[in-house]
Amino acid sequence: MLLPFLLLLALPACILAAKPQNVQERFVNLAQQNDGIIKLDADTFDLLTSPKRNWSTSIQFTALDKRRRCNPCREFEPAWKAVAKAWTAVPKEQRDQHFFATLDFDDGHSVFQKSGTMLQQMVLAYLLPEVDSNCLRLLLVSNMLPCFNPIPTEEAPCRGFDAEPLAEQLSAYTPLPIPYRAPINWALWGSFAVMGLSLILAVRVVAPIFRSRWTWATLVTITSLIMTSGYMFTRIRGMPMTGPNGDWIAQGFQSQYGQETVVVATLYGLLGASFLMLTVVAPRQTSPNRQKIQIYIWTVVIMVLFSVLVSFFRAKNRGYPFKLFI
Amino acid sequence: MPLAYPLPNLSPTTVTNTASLLRIVALALISGAAIASRLFAVINFESIIHEFDPWFNYRATKVLASQGFYEFWNWFDPTAWYPLGRVVGGTIYPGLMVTSGVIYNVLHKLHLPVDIRNICVLLAPGFSAFTAWATYMFTKELKDESAGLLAAAFIGIVPGYISRSVAGSYDNEAIAIFLLMFTFYLWIKALKQGSALFGTLAALFYFYMVAAWGGYAFITNMIPLHALTLMLMGRYTNRLYVAYSSWYAIGTLASMQVPFVGFQPVRTSEHMGALGVFGLLQIVAFVQLIRSHVSSKQFQDLLFVSAIASGVIGALAIVGLTYKGWIAPWTGRFYSLWDTGYAKKYIPIIASVSEHQPTAWPSFFMDLHSLIFLFPAGVVLCFRELRDEHVFVIIYAFVASYFAGVMVRLMLTLTPVVCVAAAIALSTLFDTYIDPLEPETIDKVAAGTEDSNKKAKKEKAAAPSTSTASVSELLARTVSAPSKGKKQRGIFGLDTRFAVIFNALGLLFFFVLHSTWVTSTAYSSPSVVLASHNENGLNLIDDFREAYYWLRQNTPEDAVVMSWWDYGYQIAGMADRTTLVDNNTWNNTHIATVGKAMSSPEEVAYPILRKHDVDYVLVIFGGLIGYSGDDINKFLWMVRIAQGVWPDEIQEPAYFTPSGDYRVDEQASPAMRNSLMYKMSYYRYAELFTGAQAVDRVRGQQMPKVGPKLDYLEEAFTSENWIVRIYQVKKEDPLGRDLKTANAFAEGKKRKRARPPVRRRAAA
Repeated sequence: MLLPFLLLLALPACILAAKPQNVQERFVNLAQQNDGIIKLDADTFDLLTSPKRNWSTSIQFTALDKRRRCNPCREFEPAWKAVAKAWTAVPKEQRDQHFFATLDFDDGHSVFQKSGTMLQQMVLAYLLPEVDSNCLRLLLVSNMLPCFNPIPTEEAPCRGFDAEPLAEQLSAYTPLPIPYRAPINWALWGSFAVMGLSLILAVRVVAPIFRSRWTWATLVTITSLIMTSGYMFTRIRGMPMTGPNGDWIAQGFQSQYGQETVVVATLYGLLGASFLMLTVVAPRQTSPNRQKIQIYIWTVVIMVLFSVLVSFFRAKNRGYPFKLFI
Repeated sequence: MPLAYPLPNLSPTTVTNTASLLRIVALALISGAAIASRLFAVINFESIIHEFDPWFNYRATKVLASQGFYEFWNWFDPTAWYPLGRVVGGTIYPGLMVTSGVIYNVLHKLHLPVDIRNICVLLAPGFSAFTAWATYMFTKELKDESAGLLAAAFIGIVPGYISRSVAGSYDNEAIAIFLLMFTFYLWIKALKQGSALFGTLAALFYFYMVAAWGGYAFITNMIPLHALTLMLMGRYTNRLYVAYSSWYAIGTLASMQVPFVGFQPVRTSEHMGALGVFGLLQIVAFVQLIRSHVSSKQFQDLLFVSAIASGVIGALAIVGLTYKGWIAPWTGRFYSLWDTGYAKKYIPIIASVSEHQPTAWPSFFMDLHSLIFLFPAGVVLCFRELRDEHVFVIIYAFVASYFAGVMVRLMLTLTPVVCVAAAIALSTLFDTYIDPLEPETIDKVAAGTEDSNKKAKKEKAAAPSTSTASVSELLARTVSAPSKGKKQRGIFGLDTRFAVIFNALGLLFFFVLHSTWVTSTAYSSPSVVLASHNENGLNLIDDFREAYYWLRQNTPEDAVVMSWWDYGYQIAGMADRTTLVDNNTWNNTHIATVGKAMSSPEEVAYPILRKHDVDYVLVIFGGLIGYSGDDINKFLWMVRIAQGVWPDEIQEPAYFTPSGDYRVDEQASPAMRNSLMYKMSYYRYAELFTGAQAVDRVRGQQMPKVGPKLDYLEEAFTSENWIVRIYQVKKEDPLGRDLKTANAFAEGKKRKRARPPVRRRAAA
């Protein structure tokens, strides 16, 4: 489970000092300027997390710069923004008790370096040794963002990039529950409406397509091909297209990447189509020689593709004793 | 037309007779193969009931066989879900037990004293032969006998079905797939003939299915979906009306006789589709009737509108009743098929079961092998003909492939349709390439008088100069020719026939090899007895039975044993002792209580154990021999389920290391190390290694030198390979001290803990 780094500094306000009043106002202003998110650097980070304070804060540690190539960071960004924005709607009194902040790797190297040891005691998450120097790989305790898989593993990473569970989780630490509501997906509904309308308008043109059995045949066949290639597995487990190191075959029998779905569905489709070619199309051929060529081509295609499929299966199931030509 | 190879000169009656004899022989052989391939488990191990749920079914069947049906029907089991007990008669699908009970009684009437256990063990293989026959009948309706035989052979040995029906896996699915296929066959037959008789038969077998398996909801929704699609396609007929009405009316009334189902068919959303289609069908039938009697155009229009309106009102009424709470909304199990994240969030107990996980592609290939890509080809061929029964197969294929993708368990419902569709595809291939008729070659065609427009066109494009047909002739044929083309299709020569048939036979041969291999290695393990291969050959690990028999013989009959719910049925079935929770999982709070006891420190767990009169606690530990399905690996689910009920006391993150790892070694979190489960699993484990580094072979972690200490429990039994460990719960201290101080006092006096020597050495 490798996720962008979200750190909770949810320390209850306990120490009151004279000075923080000004500092707090400064942060309030900073937050207001940027939709509720304070952009931190090393200095402001220290200030925001100083022991003498009477506010709590949630900080997102991230690396958004393209060169850092941190995909999870970028995937997580919108959820973070949405939750922080929702917090700005809270009455001023409570709102100023809790800040949302972001610290980018490029703005505060020093914090990231020391955080490994220091923050560990303060919060639930900490910095792992970097696996890939380009991307900050950080790990969350699984409860911080709900995962779809019981025990997050390398093969089935956590899928916690949604704003709603995040808001729910963070609400435990804020003075008031975060009033986050999922925005209405106007684009989706709009496109539905446009499509529906255009279908009604073009009913004369479209009707023959819908009445054609081959439209439905294509639909049903493609659906069952995709489903039998483990598409739902990749969706439910939130599997990526390829593995972190560029592998597209996941290790283990009960696991797969998105790329495998594509390959397997194509193989199944081609094999099924070859059989259809032999059964339906080849007998229509009127020239004996052409028919012969056609039949031999499809026979060879079936043999080769099936061998590929079996060898692919052997890669997944090491103990499989059978093999064809490959 | 020329023949590709000479045919023997036989009279048509001889051909028909020989063909039907061959069919009977083939079906008999297929049944034999289906039964035989399911006996690997009996041959490799012994005639034993497998896994978990079958143990309960077996126990219930024993009650039925020994005490009669009425005793079974009113059976209240006080030894399960202690102290609540369980009303068994009203909370199970009795079909399976009644089936074995009937077989048992019939055999005994015939003076064949067969043990009830053997009937239970061999029920699933026996019914798989019936399934093959039902699939044959079903496929025969779709294409012909030869496709039927292929389909029967496929379903007989396909691993996707064997996985749930080997000898010993005495579960509802054992008979359910036969009932599923046979109900579908009767439905198709009823629809084809418009026969109320077949409709009623379908209803009766539907009733049997309802009594046998919770998956009957699949039929409840498939048949209405088929009827609805036919109506939408404008294929409403009186045959459909008769078939559906007789099936629905009788089937629903009959299904309500099963106590566990009761009024669900009129009160829950799963069944509303069938009711809605039934209503719609009445409206459509009424409209058809009026239309045939009334001629006025306006009246017909009016009627049409009112019919639609009443349909809409009916639908709204169902929605309204659901909203009002008269009709229960979709239950969690069904709902989680659509909203795939639902179960994990709201019903962790369902999500925790491994057979409810989504299916990755290797499982599909493992279970269906080459059928998986013949399947879409068969579906396309169904589209080519598209009679009413083909529509059924298409819908079935579409729906089942989605369900099988979402849940591994539902692979079972996909398997029959895959076999049927693949059989259609392959049998069409064989038909095409075995057919001895050869089409005429182009030259002859061009010279001939009859021709299809297509060929003429093609030929014209290839060699326009030799064409004798004029443009006007061609045009005339374009209009009238299409039906003539069929004769001209076919395969030339023998070599291509041989190549294709050889290839297809090779594919079938590979399928048989694959199925046998998968069945013998993957699906024939009873999971009560484990097997491991080493240099000395097969090594049986019989820890479970060893431990259960120990419980049976060394503990008082009314002793209460606590374990995680997975082992409830086995303890009840093999050890005959009272359990707190079992695989029935009907009471989440009770399970969470056990989860809390397991995941809390001893001091917290002890009062819970005492309040529930627990005498023994049983844990499964695989660390010594590397058995990965043990309780430490299931531990997080115990924590999670307990957390669902007591979120303030049990928190999942506390069981991880600060870095978010799940560890059991030196770095394990304090909550983990203090939990009862951890202590019971690793109690005295390090001593086994006599000074060497103790290693947990499942987690691959090195255990601390000093193991956990138990104050409130004491070790009672540990099986040969340490898989099952049983602890006795100590009674309260007679002097009223808490047991920890009492122990400390006892130790302080002796200064040294006296331990009995290690009783067993590890079988490494």
